[in-house]
Amino acid sequence: MPCTLVFMDRLITFERITIEPPLQAIYRRLGYRKGLTQLKPGESKALGESIELARSLIALQGAARRLPILSRDSRQIRLAENLCLESANLAALLVKSQEILLMGTTAGEAIIEAIRQDTAENNLTRAVVLDAAASETVDAALDWMEAFFARQLRREGRQLTKSRFSCGYGDLTLENQKLFYDLLDLKRFGVELTENSILKPEKSVTAVAGIEPIR
Amino acid sequence: MAKGQRKFLDIMKKRPLLLDGATGTELQNRGMPAGVSPELWCIENPNVIGSIHSDYARAGSDVVYACTFGANRLKLGQYGERDVRSVNRRLATIARESVRGKALVAGDIGPTGHFIQPFGEVGFEEAVAIFKEQVRGLLEGGVDCFVIETMMDIQEARAALIAVKESCDLFTMVTMTFERDGRTLNGTDPLTAVVTLQALGADAAGCNCSTGPDDMVRFITAMKPCATIPLIAKPNAGLPKSSGGRTVYDMDAAEFALRSGALVAAGAGILGGCCGTTPGHLSALKRAVTRRKPAPPVRKSIAALSSARKTLLFEADGPLAVIGESINPTGKKALQEELREGKTALVRQMARDQETAGADLLDVNVGVPGLDQEKAMEEVVLALSVATALPLVIDSAKAEPIERALRVYPGRALINSISGEKEKLKKLLPVAAKYGAMFILLPLTDRGIPETAEKRAVVVRAIEGEARKHGFTRDDFLVDGIVMTAASNPRAPQETLRTVRWATETLGARTVVGLSNVSFGMPERKWINASFLAMASASGLTAAIANPSSEEIAFVRRATDVLGGRDRDAAAWIAHCAKAAGSGREGVPIETLPPEKKLREAILDGNREAVSGCIGESLKAGYDAAALAQQIMIPAIVEVGERFGRKEYFLPQLIASGETMKIGMDILEPYLKEGQSAAGQRGAVLLATVKGDIHDIGKNIVGLMLRNHGYRVIDLGKDVAAERIVREIERHKPQVVGLSALMTTTMTRMKEVIGLARKQGEQCPFIVGGAVVTKTYADSIGAAFARDGVEAVQVIQRLTGSRV
Repeated sequence: MPCTLVFMDRLITFERITIEPPLQAIYRRLGYRKGLTQLKPGESKALGESIELARSLIALQGAARRLPILSRDSRQIRLAENLCLESANLAALLVKSQEILLMGTTAGEAIIEAIRQDTAENNLTRAVVLDAAASETVDAALDWMEAFFARQLRREGRQLTKSRFSCGYGDLTLENQKLFYDLLDLKRFGVELTENSILKPEKSVTAVAGIEPIR
Repeated sequence: MAKGQRKFLDIMKKRPLLLDGATGTELQNRGMPAGVSPELWCIENPNVIGSIHSDYARAGSDVVYACTFGANRLKLGQYGERDVRSVNRRLATIARESVRGKALVAGDIGPTGHFIQPFGEVGFEEAVAIFKEQVRGLLEGGVDCFVIETMMDIQEARAALIAVKESCDLFTMVTMTFERDGRTLNGTDPLTAVVTLQALGADAAGCNCSTGPDDMVRFITAMKPCATIPLIAKPNAGLPKSSGGRTVYDMDAAEFALRSGALVAAGAGILGGCCGTTPGHLSALKRAVTRRKPAPPVRKSIAALSSARKTLLFEADGPLAVIGESINPTGKKALQEELREGKTALVRQMARDQETAGADLLDVNVGVPGLDQEKAMEEVVLALSVATALPLVIDSAKAEPIERALRVYPGRALINSISGEKEKLKKLLPVAAKYGAMFILLPLTDRGIPETAEKRAVVVRAIEGEARKHGFTRDDFLVDGIVMTAASNPRAPQETLRTVRWATETLGARTVVGLSNVSFGMPERKWINASFLAMASASGLTAAIANPSSEEIAFVRRATDVLGGRDRDAAAWIAHCAKAAGSGREGVPIETLPPEKKLREAILDGNREAVSGCIGESLKAGYDAAALAQQIMIPAIVEVGERFGRKEYFLPQLIASGETMKIGMDILEPYLKEGQSAAGQRGAVLLATVKGDIHDIGKNIVGLMLRNHGYRVIDLGKDVAAERIVREIERHKPQVVGLSALMTTTMTRMKEVIGLARKQGEQCPFIVGGAVVTKTYADSIGAAFARDGVEAVQVIQRLTGSRV
């Protein structure tokens, strides 16, 4: 009877991720600096209302997939015969990893439409807050997915790498987005991939982390 | 009473019932390698798991968990194992044989690793089937009870609990895992978890893993006042930390035992240990708590409803609750059409609107003639479970859609309604009991609606008598006062009020009315509705099915709470009044300032609403339009930029001031003489987000800032090809061209644009910016660089200084 992991090839989808907007991160993204930035009560209230609006418009969905690493060297990670991630930075991050965890999430189209509409109707103030709230919320959704897997991995004697990588950062080129997009089947959430490897709706992100033994 | 429950309760009358400690970390300590299936490894190494079980039994555990946490179809499938029943049967047998009757054996059910509908892709019935398969194997292995543990998703916990309850009547415990913020990863708080799980038939509930004992005290404290069942606390041995490349927990056995005492004081009756605990921890725990008698549940039943994320308690001194009535297709063609098409967008929008308007619960009715109501109800309930945090009221004339809704709803719902009609009573009471729902008790019978309050009281008592046979108490229902139309029977409203008063004062039950029926056929119905609500509230009403968006209802419900002593310090009333009055703008009392100062303050404050009036006043007071622009407004917006530079302002304030400035300049424009207009005075700037990039909010901010500083902005938008940008440069001859890009891949298009422009002989300066763009990159392509909108204006001013 085999008791080692064969291949966890089932895509895990999250039809709705229910997390609160990460307020501190949103404020920070908007340039708020504690002790320096002065907010009047009315401004705080308006900001709170905009973030609340963002919360109601953001419909977080996501998917994740664990894939074993077949082979590696200092510049690339091979996942299958014809499936390779070329990045020395990523290879360094995954040096102890036996598997990778691919993750993707989207905030949906409604929030993008609201940003577009606010911009067109000269309410750029609110558009900027909605934009920041959406950016930080999708990032928080990746944290949420990591927390979800971390609990399961601990029981397997494994853990996630301390950081994660997204396409377009370091030497992991944006062209890898196609691979992530396909493996995570982001199409099912209505996410498109442009010919320039950009995900639409705009507030959609993917990332990869390593799965390594705790010891 | 569940089988075996008496044994558990008898122990808890004297001391806390003790579960075991960690299995996973103990297996790792005793040689299980990383990356294997613990369940399959234990079958290959029965002596190792057997010794863990027997060590825990010797340490004093009353119950040990069979090593079947991940022995479900989805988890075992990852390791190529398909015989789920056999794995569970074998592991339960190993546990039984190891403890040799010195402890009970619990069949351990853990999460599948997937989320269940409506939160994930695994269908609810599929999840129930997965757990039933595991339960069958565990029963064959002879377990004494069940534990459903480490659940992050309340819906998955529900599916597992239903699977156990539909398979046997053994004592079943359910524990959720809460994060340090006090919610599960999926957003369920401890109170909501216990309200939902105990209603569905859990014999004990609580938390495991999550945290160390200290933080877990908070979760038990939150559950205790509303728990009707014993509470479980199974914390980790403190917090995990990395030491020498290993994860270790920071509490030794003595400290763990010492700190766990607070869990008993908080109300836990069942204790154990999770990650990092050992038989030594359990032994110390037993010594520490063996003389402490746990507090039994403080109540036998509770009037509370829940969604996956929120609980509504019907407390005696609680505020009047409003049940939003909008999600009902009667007379709503668009909603009927949507339900027929199987869509839920409008329903979700209605839910959000009612939630924003202050509804406490949402009534859900899908009664469209010819529609498969069972299917439609399930779809709508699942959609609403994620669209709103408000608990739902399941409203149907038929029993089947109600049953379907209760089965899949990840909370404790309210049934609207159960009447004295024989068939309905017979069908719906068992359904309500199985899923632990509350219900609206509608005092009518097969013979119709009793006219008087006295006759209705007789029917109420008869239905209550039947409900008691299914285990219901007066906490489990709300008596419907039955609202009839005042226009057709002037005495009807009084009979409703008398029914409400009798149910409240004599029966000691909670009450509800469907408000709007009272005004049917009348003009200006909102006043009749609001007045009747006030009268019913004075008679003791608990909840009203009404339109929460009605201003009259919104005020009257809160006013009656103040007058009825249900709104302490009138806090809710004051908050509602403040909200209704609008956000207002605090700060400088600008009414007292001279008009030009008011204008300056309006720009500094980003007060778009005030700027028009300020300009009007200033012009009336004799100020010259050009002077207002040059001496007041432009210095004010410069000051805003400086405050932004000093971080006293952040982005929303910068932009609000920018937008206020723009409105002001647009108003001033007609008053300016030729040559005085600020617009475009400092030259033209052409802006574009380069080809392939769709992120343009930064460029839009720069455009706004430039306009306010007197530049004419030609904004080409986003995803603009190099050829088009160069064509527009040729056409408009701007002083400066600004390019933005967010991505590393699209950033390279900036070089392409500049190269093409130079090739075409265009010598205008370029400025570039965007999240990944750096000064070094800008230098390398021969462009200027700015980090943000304010700096962009400064750089462009420098670039255009010698050109304008």
